[in-house]
Amino acid sequence: MNLHYSDEQNMLRDQVIKFCESSYDFIDREKILISETGYSSDHWKQFAELGWLAIPFKEDNGGFNFGPIELTVLFEEFGKALVVEPYLSSVVMSGTILEGSSHPEKVSIIESIISGEHQVAVAYAEANIGYNFLDCVTSITKESDSLILNGSKSLVLNAANSDQFIVLAKHNDEAVLVMLDKSAEGLSTQNFKTLDGQTCGELTFENIILPEDSILTSGKDAESLFNKMLDVSILCISAEAVGAMTSAYQKTVQYTKEREQFAQPISNFQVLQHRMVDMFIETEITKSLLIKATLQLDSNDAETSKTISALKVQVGKAGKYIGQQAVQLHGGMGVSNEMSIGHYLKRFTVIDSMFGNTQHHINKYLTL
Amino acid sequence: MDISFSEQDLQFQEEIRAGIASDFPAHVREKQEKGSSLSKSDIIDFHKFIYEKGWMAYNWPVEYGGTGWSPVQIYLFLNELALAKCPNILPFGLSMVGPVIYTFGNQEQKDRFLPDILQFNTWWCQGYSEPGSGSDLASLKTKAVLDGDHYIVNGSKTWTTLAQNADWIFCLVRTETTQKKQEGISFLLIDMKTPGIEVKPIITIDGDHEVNSVFFTDVKVPADQLIGEEGKGWTYAKFLLAHERFGIAAVPAGKVQLNELKEITAQYNDVDLNKKIAELEIDLMALEFTEMRSLAAIADGGHPGAESSILKIRGTEIQQRLTELFVEAAGQYILPYEGPDGFDSNMTPAGPDYASASVAQYLNYRKTSIYGGSNEIQKNIIAKAILGV
Repeated sequence: MNLHYSDEQNMLRDQVIKFCESSYDFIDREKILISETGYSSDHWKQFAELGWLAIPFKEDNGGFNFGPIELTVLFEEFGKALVVEPYLSSVVMSGTILEGSSHPEKVSIIESIISGEHQVAVAYAEANIGYNFLDCVTSITKESDSLILNGSKSLVLNAANSDQFIVLAKHNDEAVLVMLDKSAEGLSTQNFKTLDGQTCGELTFENIILPEDSILTSGKDAESLFNKMLDVSILCISAEAVGAMTSAYQKTVQYTKEREQFAQPISNFQVLQHRMVDMFIETEITKSLLIKATLQLDSNDAETSKTISALKVQVGKAGKYIGQQAVQLHGGMGVSNEMSIGHYLKRFTVIDSMFGNTQHHINKYLTL
Repeated sequence: MDISFSEQDLQFQEEIRAGIASDFPAHVREKQEKGSSLSKSDIIDFHKFIYEKGWMAYNWPVEYGGTGWSPVQIYLFLNELALAKCPNILPFGLSMVGPVIYTFGNQEQKDRFLPDILQFNTWWCQGYSEPGSGSDLASLKTKAVLDGDHYIVNGSKTWTTLAQNADWIFCLVRTETTQKKQEGISFLLIDMKTPGIEVKPIITIDGDHEVNSVFFTDVKVPADQLIGEEGKGWTYAKFLLAHERFGIAAVPAGKVQLNELKEITAQYNDVDLNKKIAELEIDLMALEFTEMRSLAAIADGGHPGAESSILKIRGTEIQQRLTELFVEAAGQYILPYEGPDGFDSNMTPAGPDYASASVAQYLNYRKTSIYGGSNEIQKNIIAKAILGV
């Protein structure tokens, strides 16, 4: 039994910390948010050069063959600085599906993701199915010898910057995951900014004729690959949430030590002290479930999905509590958009809403 | 990173499990299964069983007759006891006064007291809190004045757990009035049969007699029952608090109770209650892994820092919520109540059989967030030691 990070994992963490310290203060981040793409292509290049984009991929596909532990190290540090680059969408979500598929061009697509030239987004959500993503309406029909895609997808992260999409659809009542080029005829997109400063898009498919080899996987294989993608993605945003929680409570402690009222630092007041202790405890408790889920996912433990749901519940509740209290303890500054603290609240709110919120995962936990 | 236990540890766990299965005294086990309270002799029988298995000094160093078990083994041992519904090993002798005696006592005191603690020949109780000194323990007033080769003790202690059964009490007493209140405190061992000691029961809101007031009127205590130096009692008491707090989170006992609760609610199909149980189970899972993180740190040679305050706070909150859910499950049938031992078997009221015990435990467990340094005090500790405010 040991809960040490390896030297390699610690080196990765140090590297990410160094990057965030030198290139990702709040003002740097604000500039990225108002840029056209909504992320920094220079940073993305740097991620490629540092090898970060290769982290989860197998060596055969040009990756480092690292696993959930390395991903959570990266995301925890990203969360502290509220990094907005589309790592989750392109590397984690698309990467997991591509790597699990038998697409003939998968190696070259993965290689181009790793090099930073190419981005892929997963289109999994739809307007009227809530979190039951596999009950989608978007469908593929076969007419003569062609596959025809019809329907629409919403909340596609980083859609505007993606060269390709992986679309979850139904074909003969079975789940399928298909590859779609952004230039496909019949595809229209509308892009939005998200609550937390990222971007997403809505895709509409009108009689799109798909090339024969676009099906990545189908049936039970598609379902289990999709569910695995959800598990890994939840793990990553949970690690990000733990990082954000750490920053939020530490920034709050710092602020209360500096802010003086009634001729003393407000950190002297026990009401505020206990509130901050609760924020600290929630952070540590969430970290515990994060480590448990990480190790289970790493070893393909049979209980993984159950622990992932437990983690998502804890992340939702703790994020809400810490985000709200961080704003409250910053007083008026907390609701000011030019202070970073309110942006943590926004990120927690988005994280809770993604891939099944707290209530959804309590219900799911009960069925597992 | 690897959270699994080694082959040897798993084998150790198996041995403990088998040992409990074969030798846990049947009459005690039966009462534990039913949730009825244990008599003094039941508790003694249980401790004798632990002693005879060679497990009593699970947390003592080998030189004082300890097992020399690793932190992981201690964790597994306590886990197995709780899963088998064993009563708690009473901490007062073994985990509280014992370590103070072998760390700060002289040879004569070690020879005199330690063997009886291990064999459970003496039942110890703890004389810390006073009517005017709870969280502010150092303000305590019970006075010990040296008169020749005896101390004369006057004052009173309160919330003394199971003092009605105890043979000896270890007390914090004031031997000097000093500027800094902590400096005048000494650590004194007192035979409960000494003239001038009076024990009066305090009945708690569940109707149980677990705690007491202990009054001292001109009690003559031989001076050789002082531990260490006069005025250093506070240091020894603090050492005792820092001395391993394994098991404080009570995770395995929580798991056992949660399973019992799930068996009960399986018949009801109450969606709201099921969700609350799921949330509690998730919190318990998170707490268990938090304890594993502390264990991994200790196994590495680290010290459980102020983080163990998290285990105290969260553990007691979860224990209390568990008791609330039993009460919620029992609904209106908690009304008939005649005390912690339930009803006369010839005359039982309507409602599920767990109703009365549930409400007894609900009331009893309010103590958990108050004792052992109230949860508010634990938060003060974290605020100071970790947040630096």
